Amino acid sequence: MITMQDTLSIARRDLIRTARMPEQLTFAVIMGIFFLLLFYYVFGGVISAGSDVDYVQFLVPGVLVITAVNGAQQTGTGLALDLSTGVVDRFRSLPMSQIAVIAGRTVADTIRNSVGVLLVVAVGYLMGFRFDSLPGAVGTIAVAVGLGYAFSWVGAWIGARIRNAETVGMLSMFWLFPLMLASSAFVPTDGMHEFVRVFAEFQPVSVVSDAARSLAAGKPADGAILGSLAWIVGLTVVFAWLAARAYRRP
Amino acid sequence: MSTNSQSSTVLDAPVIEATGLRKRFGDTLAVDGLSFSVPPGSILGLLGPNGAGKTTTIKLLTTLLPIDEGSATVAGHDVATAADSVRGSIGLAGQSAAVDDKLTVRQNLDLFGRLYHLPADTRRARVTELVERFGMSEYANRTAETLSGGERRRLDLVAALIADPPAIFLDEPTTGLDPRGRLALWQQIRDIRDAGAAVVLTTQYLEEADQLADYIVVIDRGAAVAAGTTAELKARLERDVLQVTVDDPQRLADAIAALGADSAIAIDEHTVHLAVASAAEGLAALRRVDDAGVTTADFQLRRPTLDDVFIEITGEPVSHVEEVPQETSR
Repeated sequence: MITMQDTLSIARRDLIRTARMPEQLTFAVIMGIFFLLLFYYVFGGVISAGSDVDYVQFLVPGVLVITAVNGAQQTGTGLALDLSTGVVDRFRSLPMSQIAVIAGRTVADTIRNSVGVLLVVAVGYLMGFRFDSLPGAVGTIAVAVGLGYAFSWVGAWIGARIRNAETVGMLSMFWLFPLMLASSAFVPTDGMHEFVRVFAEFQPVSVVSDAARSLAAGKPADGAILGSLAWIVGLTVVFAWLAARAYRRP
Repeated sequence: MSTNSQSSTVLDAPVIEATGLRKRFGDTLAVDGLSFSVPPGSILGLLGPNGAGKTTTIKLLTTLLPIDEGSATVAGHDVATAADSVRGSIGLAGQSAAVDDKLTVRQNLDLFGRLYHLPADTRRARVTELVERFGMSEYANRTAETLSGGERRRLDLVAALIADPPAIFLDEPTTGLDPRGRLALWQQIRDIRDAGAAVVLTTQYLEEADQLADYIVVIDRGAAVAAGTTAELKARLERDVLQVTVDDPQRLADAIAALGADSAIAIDEHTVHLAVASAAEGLAALRRVDDAGVTTADFQLRRPTLDDVFIEITGEPVSHVEEVPQETSR
């Protein structure tokens, strides 16, 4: 109960901070639209050529997932910043739940990610993308935002361990980018090199992208949806535990 | 939850009590057997150079670091076994001034009120009251990043008071402030004491300890080297101090030899400070310098200051503290 209350207090604080840093907010929110336009207009022609794939229908669900998981790097840099400036020392001296400092941040970042996700949906609609049904739309957004939430715990763990915002930011290149690009989010995995393809087919961004795509098209793929839930719950549990442990270190 | 002073303090029983506190970092003993107690309505000054173990002591008492040996209680709660109750009874203002730069003054105070779990109406009333009492109305709706150094420190201090805790810990609260800001903050710290809080204040400024502390513990390399009221500490140096400045620094050694170096308290480039039992002894010492053919540029016979006491105890003047390595913040 106290943990819940403290989580909301910290989330509120983090959201006010986010709103007062327009550059960061804009970057986080625009990133998805940027990916959507870039991939559609650069690769759309190549990918659609000689096949009957409607690339906008393929791309939008993938970009929704990318938009949601990309926010994880800011979870990491934000927490690292708090840990290095003495704010956390102050929090530690308060009669509050300590896990709330991280949990609040993951909640705030998930709310911010959701804004980015909804903007991508809006731009996608202008480009001709359509959800099959409302429940399908809700399901698509839920799995995307859900994976984003799980990834924010990964970011939190890295931030709590490294505790240097710049290093955490640079490090995200090396774990987040391979997961985003070597995936089925932007292009089908068929054409990828064998090594990459095996990784690309089972890693969480691909599994959730496939699930999102099937939900958006009104043809829910049970395997991908169950796989998505397993990834989301599994990553959240494991990295929440790791992040809490890393954070407790003085 | 004990978030106010009535809950657990018996009248005049110490609010903060430390017994034989020890903390080791690797091979260094950062805190070496500190003991003290702080009754309500009083300020204890922990005085010492950087790296003396002041910040570490504060971290031990505020549950930020585990205690290796010894024990401490705050408002009757054991720091080692009842950390949560201790956190409900303390307010901490650190030297890093950990206010949130993106939040306004009001939002900062409101956040701390929330995290101390004050009921919404109490919280709002308390924020308004503190903003007015500490003269922050003018900039209450500005973000902390736009405040001056003094205003930030004040906010940091006031945030520690939001739940009206019986024990307040101030870690070098005025470091980096200009003289005016320092004077204003001193008055506010006195007000907090007068309102009944037990305050532990760390400082490397003798003047600050002299001005604020009801009781001073001088620490050096983690250990208490002296303790007492300002008057008691000065009384340790019963004799007067003769201060002789020579014209030619090359000849300072001759002057020291003539004065009798064993009673010298401190020596710098041109000046030697020396404890003397009487004015007559001081005059005789000056004559010996003159007889040795050393030209005196200036001399002065004065009552000892806390500075002299500090130098005599620790062997080094406080003004040289910057050269001592910073204590690590983790």
